[in-house]
Amino acid sequence: MRELRWTWLFAAKDLRAEFRSGGRLPAMAAFVVLAGFLFAVSLDRTQVPGRGVAAGLLWLVVLFAATAGAGRAFDLEDRDGAFRHVLLSPASRSSVFLGKTAANLVLIWIATGLAFFALTAFLGVRSPGSLASHGAVLLPGTVGLAAVGTLFGRVSSHSSLGDTLLPVLAFPLLTPVVFFGATATTRLFLGRPWPEVSGPVRLLWAFALGSLAAGAVLFRHVAEE
Amino acid sequence: MTLEGRGLVCDYGPARALDGVSVSADATGALAVFGPNGAGKTTLLKVLSGERKPDAGVVLLDGEPVSGSDPAWRARVGVVSHRTGLYAKLTVGENLRFFAGLHGRAAGRRKADAALKAALDRVGAGALADARVGALSRGERQRVAVARTFLHDPEVVFLDEPFTGLDLGGAALLEAALAELAAAGRIVVLATHDMARGLRLADRFLVLRQGRKALEGAAASHEARDLAAALDGGDGPAAVGPAELSLAPAGIR
Repeated sequence: MRELRWTWLFAAKDLRAEFRSGGRLPAMAAFVVLAGFLFAVSLDRTQVPGRGVAAGLLWLVVLFAATAGAGRAFDLEDRDGAFRHVLLSPASRSSVFLGKTAANLVLIWIATGLAFFALTAFLGVRSPGSLASHGAVLLPGTVGLAAVGTLFGRVSSHSSLGDTLLPVLAFPLLTPVVFFGATATTRLFLGRPWPEVSGPVRLLWAFALGSLAAGAVLFRHVAEE
Repeated sequence: MTLEGRGLVCDYGPARALDGVSVSADATGALAVFGPNGAGKTTLLKVLSGERKPDAGVVLLDGEPVSGSDPAWRARVGVVSHRTGLYAKLTVGENLRFFAGLHGRAAGRRKADAALKAALDRVGAGALADARVGALSRGERQRVAVARTFLHDPEVVFLDEPFTGLDLGGAALLEAALAELAAAGRIVVLATHDMARGLRLADRFLVLRQGRKALEGAAASHEARDLAAALDGGDGPAAVGPAELSLAPAGIR
């Protein structure tokens, strides 16, 4: 119960600060809308059908937006040494990790929603799959992105390489998420039945739960400077 | 209640910040730690509070080892440093409620708000509860940081240059609060460059030099009187700075 309370406290604090200051969200939103627009104007849709590339572009945009957000997730914590006082409190490191992951996840969902609507609008794609089925694919994928991004966001925040290190560490690990996510989303865009989609979704859930568990265990080793 | 550090060694890469320091502090009076920059004061406080694990040596509370990896120990410790550790985007009240919550002190909104108000009033910052931390002056932030430490009523309090940025009123309130803590049987360990204030607040003092204990004693002892006299004496405080004093304990004797 205490763990849940700490997780909630941390997520609520992060989101309150984020929505008040508009630190990461406007940058992520601007990126996804701009990317959607650029893809739309650069693709010759008489040669390449929007439906065929929308899924890949969607996951690419979500991956970059999530990484950009995770890279700055600890700026707020380190600015005046606040994280030191968090670590000095009895709150468990795993609950701190889960709280920060939850806050990152909310921001990624907002960016993902924007990316989805921007890409489908700019590319003129109408998905035969329902929004709920797209959500069922995007949910586990974004959980995995948020968990891995939060863990490596902390590592990169106290590295001399800074944000440069994050994609180097995270992208290889996130390849399965993008691969299975794009596969499942493509099948939805092409109107395939759910049984053909559910296989990659199960793998996405396995990755999401595994990365949450691994992050919760490993975070205490990377939390301190 | 006695807090002890025995044979504490702490390295930052090739640099040795603490070199076999043994120290004890108890609830009968505050311990002041002096020393020039780089002497190891902050590292000593970090090791004693459990924030940093020593490379050798042990920290004991009433003879039992304590460690920063133990949440029960962290719940008993309070830390004030020159970096306030507050979230600039949040209000003072939101900051304090957040940290109180991490310490499990947020059960019941009304009770939590009363505790928050009491902590802020104690440092003369009662009117700041709704102010955004980012809009506060350095001294006001420091007062809020001190208030945060009172919220969970710690048994052991570590203060690393806590007077940084405080105006005279704020410093007087903090001094009163520290005296209150010591009178309430809390262990107080204070690292400061301000020797006069440190000796006034503490019952015992310790001087570190290059990670080693150079001098220790009672604040009312002849060594301490010499330290204070040298600080206030003929050459004046500007001529005899804290660095010189802590570098020359033998001369003081």
